[in-house]
Amino acid sequence: MSGDPRVRIEGVSHRYGAVAALEDVSLDIADGEFVTLLGPSGCGKTTLLRIVAGFERPSAGRVLLAGEDVTGRPAHKRATNMVFQRPTLFPHLDVFANVAFGLQVAGVGKADQRARVREALELVRLEGYERRRSHELSGGQMQRIALARALVNRPKVLLLDEPLSALDLKIRLDMEVELRRVHRETGATFVYVTHDQREAMALSDRIAVMNAGRIEQIGAPTDVYRRPTSVFAAQFVGDANVLPVDVVEAGDEESTVRLGDTRHKVRCPRPQPGPAWLVLRPEAVEMRAGTPDETPGTLRGIVRDVAFRGTGFGCRIELPALGAQVKAEGRGATPPFDVDDEVGIDWRPESCWLLPRERGDDTPPPPVTSEPESDPAQARA
Amino acid sequence: MSAVAEPPAASPARAPAPRERGLRLGPVLLTLPAALTLLLFLIAPLAAFAVYSFLTGSLYEVSGPLTLENYREIAQSELNRKLARNSLIVGLLAAGSSVVIALPIAYWLRYTTSRTKTLVLFLIVASFLASYLVRIYAWRTILGAEGVINSGLGALGIVDEPLTFLVFNRFAVTLALVHIYLPYVILVIYAGLGPLQPAYLEAAQDLGAGWVQRWRRVVLPAVAAPVGSALLFVFVLSAADYVTPQFLGGTASVMIGVQVQVAFQGTGDYAGGAAISFALLAGFLVCYGLVALGLRLARLDRLRFAS
Amino acid sequence: MSPGRFTGLVTVAGMLFLWLPLLVVVLFSLHTTASLSFPFDGFSLRWYERISESPEVRAAARNSLVVATSTALVTLVLATLAAYGMSRSRSRWRAPLSLLFFLPITLPGLFIGIALLIAFSRLEYSLSLVTVTVAHLVYVFPFFFLLARAALERLDPALEEAAADLGATGWTIFRRVTLPQVWPVLVGAACLAFALSFDEFIITFFVVGPDPTLPLFIWSSLRRTIDPSINAISTLLLAFTVLLFVVTFALTSWGERRRRGTVDPLVLTGAQEPR
Repeated sequence: MSGDPRVRIEGVSHRYGAVAALEDVSLDIADGEFVTLLGPSGCGKTTLLRIVAGFERPSAGRVLLAGEDVTGRPAHKRATNMVFQRPTLFPHLDVFANVAFGLQVAGVGKADQRARVREALELVRLEGYERRRSHELSGGQMQRIALARALVNRPKVLLLDEPLSALDLKIRLDMEVELRRVHRETGATFVYVTHDQREAMALSDRIAVMNAGRIEQIGAPTDVYRRPTSVFAAQFVGDANVLPVDVVEAGDEESTVRLGDTRHKVRCPRPQPGPAWLVLRPEAVEMRAGTPDETPGTLRGIVRDVAFRGTGFGCRIELPALGAQVKAEGRGATPPFDVDDEVGIDWRPESCWLLPRERGDDTPPPPVTSEPESDPAQARA
Repeated sequence: MSAVAEPPAASPARAPAPRERGLRLGPVLLTLPAALTLLLFLIAPLAAFAVYSFLTGSLYEVSGPLTLENYREIAQSELNRKLARNSLIVGLLAAGSSVVIALPIAYWLRYTTSRTKTLVLFLIVASFLASYLVRIYAWRTILGAEGVINSGLGALGIVDEPLTFLVFNRFAVTLALVHIYLPYVILVIYAGLGPLQPAYLEAAQDLGAGWVQRWRRVVLPAVAAPVGSALLFVFVLSAADYVTPQFLGGTASVMIGVQVQVAFQGTGDYAGGAAISFALLAGFLVCYGLVALGLRLARLDRLRFAS
Repeated sequence: MSPGRFTGLVTVAGMLFLWLPLLVVVLFSLHTTASLSFPFDGFSLRWYERISESPEVRAAARNSLVVATSTALVTLVLATLAAYGMSRSRSRWRAPLSLLFFLPITLPGLFIGIALLIAFSRLEYSLSLVTVTVAHLVYVFPFFFLLARAALERLDPALEEAAADLGATGWTIFRRVTLPQVWPVLVGAACLAFALSFDEFIITFFVVGPDPTLPLFIWSSLRRTIDPSINAISTLLLAFTVLLFVVTFALTSWGERRRRGTVDPLVLTGAQEPR
């Protein structure tokens, strides 16, 4: 069945009692892809991963691995391996026995075990750690051993449940590089779960943005970032300014929107005339100093906060005429503006995006704060 | 004056002393009353008890020079060997059975999400409080020839003759002992499973382990220490029991504890009884040592689970 | 990792195993006739009437009450102090002291009973309820100590440090900061001590004098005749201790809930540290 995707999730729904964790989710993952399920806690991403792993049985729908229906099969009979949020290395075993666990369960010979464990440890750059015990390892090292423990079994599909969320930022960034390298070297299919959109964009071939049990958008990181299909996706993946506008001229290449008193050009596939949301990324906001006369066509704003960020700066600008706040980002060592300065806001037509809006709906939903999702099964333990 | 300036060593006077929380005066002093009480009413009596084993016993008294005669007698006594064997068997059976039954129950308690969990815990701890004597009495009335089981089976017409194998034998003694110690063993193993979060079992399952492998490779090693201590506990208390064998055991299942009790309250051979007791105690210490050593060698004695 | 059907079944069987024999005792305490076998002839309270009229039963019950109360109170003081001292100290005496405090649990009652018998006979101190109380004290101590220490170690040391910083010293800190937080567990442990003492037989057997405790009385009754009056006494004993436990459980639950808003039954029994 060479035409089958490596992983197919077909119409999967899942309820915990009266709560619907997943609603009719479908997704195909190709062999060797790195797909991330991204969303806030409670969106169902971990539940979906656990269903693919075999720890939960979906209330409805099917899971197929390489064309085979494995929905009813328990986890230990599936060709998937998982890296958990916490390392869960067995404390009564040393690193070798931990990594070789799956091999020993499968009855692999001692010599083979040694060779493959060595190979797996080399893959995660921890050669020679065979005799160590888990309490002698740092958090990052433990997760790499956990990764080795999963990969030693040469799974076709590797599932990763927020494996970096318990690690410090610096280590996390290093681990991202490691994960990408391991993915390249093994060629396995990775299904990754995280609430961290930056991580998702750095690692994935495709991102599935999830919200309230559904997949809102699937696409390559640049697609999801530049062309979000919903306000939720716009706000969750990266920072976004979402402003209510009206489309006054809908063109094939360029359209015009009205925002307050000003009109702006937008380059976006043919929108409908009428109300719309304008999605503007902070780095696309251009700030111009000067009086209203000196800066025609811009939105008037007052700088309310300036923060230096090392790599650049961030500003919050209040737009009194619209009663809205806008976030802006820029490069440069010194922020060019101070609090209480008056500025003019503008942007380039190709740097923004439009989304449908209901008439009368003038306030964008607040962005969902993302926290590491606590595994519901674990939370009950 | 040395040419090389010595680097200032971490001076103990300067290094911050570990913070003693709460009270300023050595808190250990607070343990004094309790410690003295126990020294006075446990250690001293035990010491006297030990000394008795080296004296000569006669009708509720001891006398004479220190001697090893009592121990020599024990080592040579055929009766003692038989009693020891019986006690060993009953002890092992009771300990083993308790643990085997307790393991699945403790597992269920630890990993169930059912709301009946609290009820079950309540039942276990409450049964803990049933008096030793009440339990023995209960089993006697149930297992006897005119007991509940036999009369029940008879009334239902299942048997004509009462089943005599139920009581006055090792089986009845073991059954009663398991009934007594099971709640404790369940709780100990349940507590031992606390640190073993479900994620570990899921990880094992993910790596291909079915329930047999999971138990063998993850669950049992994780609770090896609590299981070891529970086994020891039940074994020691069962082997030294003197009431249950008298009440539920037959003539063939007399145990060491009975002999000791008889020595002290029947024949009055204090020294002999003391010697048997301490030989028993020595045996127990050896067992403790072996189990502790075994756990240490297998590195299962001090597991630290990441939370 | 949900447990499968098998473990659930074993659990049910286990609960039946633990409780059916006890319930049988209760059942036959209500028997109309003196027989302890089936068929069951009907319900009657005559045995309860008989024992309530018996002066010996009443005396034995009173003795047990006196001993248990004394045991609980003395243990409360000694063990709480000891637990507090241990939990607040880093002295190198902690390990040997711990060993001492837990020793009674590891020794069969036979040893403790006989050792005390020897001690009292050597000192020519005649056996009485006092000797029984001493024996119970030794026996019950580790249980109380365990619970008290667990509760005290769970407390946030920052609270006591804050009090000290505000100028409070030893006893004041204990009275105003520590005690208000742990008193439910201490009361629960005292009730446990009481129940254990009330039930105790194995050690008591050796050190009891002319006044029997209730379990001792049951034992001597067994020598005479076995009839449902023993069931009646046993049922009362059982009911009393279980009731005590329920009250303790409710009390410590309430205390725990008030302190941290949620209840973990295992934390209450002291068998586990909270997570």
